[in-house]
Formats: sequence, structure tokens, C-alpha cells
Amino acid sequence: MNDQMAENDIILRSLDLFKEAFPGRINQILKSKEGGKKIVGTLCLYVPDELIYACGADRVILCGGRSAPIEAAEEYLPRNLCPLIKSSFGSVIDQKCSKTKSCPHFGMVDLIVAEATCDGKKKMYELLDKYIPTHVMDLPQKPENQNALEYYIKELESLKDVLENLTGNKITDTQLRNEIKSANETRKLLRAIYELRKSDSPPIRGTEILKVVQQMHFLSPDEFKKNLVLLLDELNVTKREFSGPRIMISGCPMAAGNMKVPEIIENQGGLIVVEESCTGTRAFWDLVDENKEPMRAIAERYLKIPCACMYPNERRINQILQLAGDFNVDGVVYYTLQFCHGYNVEKYRVGEALKKSGIPLLSIESDYSGADTEQIKTRVDAFLEMLE
Amino acid sequence: MISIGIDVGAATTKAVVLRDNEIAGYAIIPTGFDFRQAGEAAYREVLSNCGIGESEVGKILATGYGRSSIGFAEKTISEITAHARGVGYLIPAAHTIIDIGGQDSKVIITENGKVVDFLMNDRCAAGTGKFLEYTAKALEISLNELGTLALVSKHPAKISSMCTVFAESEVISLRAQKIKKEDIAAGLIESIILRTITMVKKLGIKHEVAFVGGVAKNPGVVKAFEKALDTKVQLPEEPQITGALGAALVV
Repeated sequence: MNDQMAENDIILRSLDLFKEAFPGRINQILKSKEGGKKIVGTLCLYVPDELIYACGADRVILCGGRSAPIEAAEEYLPRNLCPLIKSSFGSVIDQKCSKTKSCPHFGMVDLIVAEATCDGKKKMYELLDKYIPTHVMDLPQKPENQNALEYYIKELESLKDVLENLTGNKITDTQLRNEIKSANETRKLLRAIYELRKSDSPPIRGTEILKVVQQMHFLSPDEFKKNLVLLLDELNVTKREFSGPRIMISGCPMAAGNMKVPEIIENQGGLIVVEESCTGTRAFWDLVDENKEPMRAIAERYLKIPCACMYPNERRINQILQLAGDFNVDGVVYYTLQFCHGYNVEKYRVGEALKKSGIPLLSIESDYSGADTEQIKTRVDAFLEMLE
Repeated sequence: MISIGIDVGAATTKAVVLRDNEIAGYAIIPTGFDFRQAGEAAYREVLSNCGIGESEVGKILATGYGRSSIGFAEKTISEITAHARGVGYLIPAAHTIIDIGGQDSKVIITENGKVVDFLMNDRCAAGTGKFLEYTAKALEISLNELGTLALVSKHPAKISSMCTVFAESEVISLRAQKIKKEDIAAGLIESIILRTITMVKKLGIKHEVAFVGGVAKNPGVVKAFEKALDTKVQLPEEPQITGALGAALVV
């Protein structure tokens, strides 16, 4: 890796824009709050940004990736629960009840729009509502069912009402179409950047792009898009070439602050070329059809997200196989957060499908602590040696 | 050409001297606190065991948990690859390798001496040498006695705790119930191999099966594996050195 670092010492200025965006974004949210703008907190990709922005509100992601707030959360939540759920909850109560305030945006939210994905999150939302008003959208858990789409559209209609009540603004079709168009542009930019990663020597490392995607629902869509344009421009003109066993990370989200496994993979010499993750392809892969009635078009696109809470989830397996081929993946690191039953159980079927395609899989289940770093390194080293 | 492999494990550090592709000697020492010191000590000991001067050494490779602390090694490899190499050298017919060390247990599947799949236990000490070490203490016997004692058991006790700490208290309650010592010993061994057996089944057993690592020196564990897997388990003459040997074999 060290040789590669030297060769690719070219610093991309646009990457720094993402890294340094935090304080600016916090000030931006503070200012818009002063101007009367409502701030919506979200914790899942099934909640369409388009509706929130069409209503004149701003949005910020509340998925916790840091280990520090977990201790506070465990006063309320069981220890044997997914660290993302604990970290998110801990960050909110930390803002509401203590003076540390390390991630102030958790305390600036007027309404949380949550979703009925996994059991841990649903039950956590019941507690969360005590601190910040929380609206939970239901999701059809069998998305291929005949009535699933109509049901989801109804849930989006309810969300529309909730947002309109919150802001006092009406969501018009024109605004919705504008937001769809704008969100699609962002999706296309990300697709274009991922396209470059298909090359034999990609110009960007997985750990770099992950820090970008982690900002997707934190930054305002305009700022995120502007930075993406700069990143794509820079990648197109700068000569950077990375190599190493080509790895796909597939599984649970890696919320901002949670870089442990990808960093180990790339520090040990692997190169992550694609993330089948909520902080990866699932966040932007499909576009919303701009020619259809907007609510329906939004529903169709979002219901395609292949989360492991859905049944049956054949499309995730197909997506993984497709990506593995398109990105010429040597091996898959199946990443799960501890106690995430959906992704953990689904691992078996993913493993079977990959085996049939002759693609090796390394499974890593971990939390946000550093306690297992050395053990993970050993597994990753062995996996990379196996792929070479 | 002389090459040396050093395997810095959580409990013991092993060094093997390979001279023209033949094992010339080895050393096994307790790791202690400092990985680097352990690596150096094992290195010096193996050199003196074999009567080799430092200038004759061609290359040094490190593996094991503390591999990155061995600054004088020219390369490091993971112990999984190392065991596969080492076992491939000693027992070429083996395609399933079970390694139970002081801190972890792993199962490796090989094809033509190369790793094709592997699993490692989770982060805690359940199902490892540490488990036996602690629970032997609860029986007031040594680790060696535990293995030989278990061989005479006719009715192994059921130990349901995988966790080392809980198993220790379970042993104490079994003692209170006047369960025979050998039956508790056998029960402990059955409980440690359960996890490893699950890993073997997950990967799919490929014959022959080799068993390496410090715990492979325990006859009770070997017997329990043979019974559970219904197959003969191959043991190298010195099961602790396959990692270090494998490192030395890396070109």
C-alpha cells in the first residue's frame, strides 16, 4: 500500500470539500432554522428526500456511526442491539440531555421521519419520539406483492400531509418534479464516479468514496451535488491509479464515523471497488422515472431498494452478482453489524449464490469498538492472500 | 539456503529453521507481554538450537497475531496461509485443517496447498485453548491431566456454557453435584470442539483432516474430534510449529 500511496500522492481537493463540510453544514442548518425552515431527520433510504425538499424543509441524516454515544444509549436500550441503532439514539439523547454536544445536528431536528424497517429500529423509534417528534412510515415488507406499491404510495401520501403540516407549505407536482430531476442528477453523478471504479486501475479508493457517500444525506443536496461535480472533474483529469485484490463490500450501512472494516481492507492491501450498501449503491443506483406521475414514480424507485428487511429479497442477491461481474470483483467482504438479523441471516443465501459464481466471500461481523481490529486484520490478510 | 519462520501467537511464539527445504530445528517459547521480544527470543533460541550464525540466515518471515511487531522479518503473512503451507508440507493429503490455538480457532480448506476457504471463531476465548486452561483450573488439574483424564470418561457431563467465564462456574456447580472429574473434563472438551465442528460443517469437510495448534497436543480433544467427525484426524509430529514452518516456506 505504501508504494501506491507515494504514486498516488495527488490530493483531490474535492475530497477535502466533503471532509471539511461539517462545520459549514451545521451553520447552514442553524441559519435556516433561524429563517423559519424546518429540519427533518431521517435514518433510512426508504424515506424520499424529494418530498422533504419539495415541501421547503431541509433534511439531515441521523444514522450514528460513532461508538461514543453508545454508552448513553445503553441506559435505555439493550446491549445486544445493533450499534447503529444505539449510536443514533445515543446521539439524540446526548444532544437533549447533556452538555457534550459533539454532533449538534442531532439536536436541531424538528421532526424525525423514520420507517418500519427492522425490529430494533422500530422499537427504538418508540423511545425516540419522547425526545423529538417521530413519524414512522410503514413499508410493505413483501414489495413484490400486488398491493405493495399502492400501499407504499398511501404511506407517502400520509408523509406528504405530515410534512405539509410541519412546514405550512403545500407540495406541488412542479416542485416534486424539480426535486426528482435534481436528485436524479446526483444519482447520475455518483453512477459516473462508480463507473470509473470499474477500470483495471481505479482512480479512487473505496475508503475515499465511502467518506463521500456518507455525506450524501448529511449535506444539502445542492452542496453535495456541487462537490460531486468537482470530484468527477478532478478524477477525469488527474492521473491516479490504484490496484490490489478487487473487493466488494456488501451488507450493512457504514454510517459516518464507522470506517473500521473498509480501512482495514485497504490498509492491508485490498482495493474496494464497489459497496453494495446503504452507504453505496443502494443509495443511488436506480433513478426516479421523470415521465411518470411523480408520487408513483418516487414510490416505484424507492421500493426497489434491496434492503434485507424485505421478503423475499432475491433482487439483492441478483444485484450483488451483477455488481460482482460489472466491477470485476475478486472477492466479497460481507459486512454485518452485530445483531443485525436481516443482513446476518441473508448472508447464507448470498454466500451460496457467490459460491456458484466462484467468488470467494469473507464474512465480518463487528460493532463500533476497536476490540476486534487485530482479529479482523488476520482474516482480511488471509482473504487477500487467498485472492492473490 | 536457510530461511526462518516465526509465528508469534497469543500464547506461544514458535520459530522454525528451514535448511534447503528441510526442517533443521525449531523453538517454542511462551509469548509473554511483548511480541517483539518474544519474536527475537524465539529467533535467537532456534539459531542456537541449530548451531546457525545469524549471517547464514537467508530470509525471515513472520506470522501469527504479533506478526507486525517483528520488524526484522522481511515479510509477514497471515497464520491462515501459513498453516495451510506448513500442513501442506507435512501432511500433503490433508485438505481440512483445524487449528486451535491459545486465542482463536480456525478451520481452513485447501486445494493444492492453497487456501480456498476458511472460518475463524469470534473474538472471545470460547472454543480455544484459553477455555481449557481456565476450566482445568476450576477442576484443580493441569491442562495435560485434563486431556488424559477425559479419555477414561464414560458419561461426559453436559456443559452448556460456551463462555469461558460461565463454564468455569458451571464446572463448580457440577463439582457440587458430585459429578466425576473425568466426566466434567470430557464435557469441557466436547463443549470446546462444538464450535469448531460447526465451522467444519459450514465449510464442508474435505478429507484428510489435520489438527494443529497447541490444543492438538491434548489427546482428549483429538479423540473427541475423531468421534464427532467420524474420521481419523492427522497430527503432525509437533502440531505447534506448522504456522512458523509455513512462514519459512513462503518464497
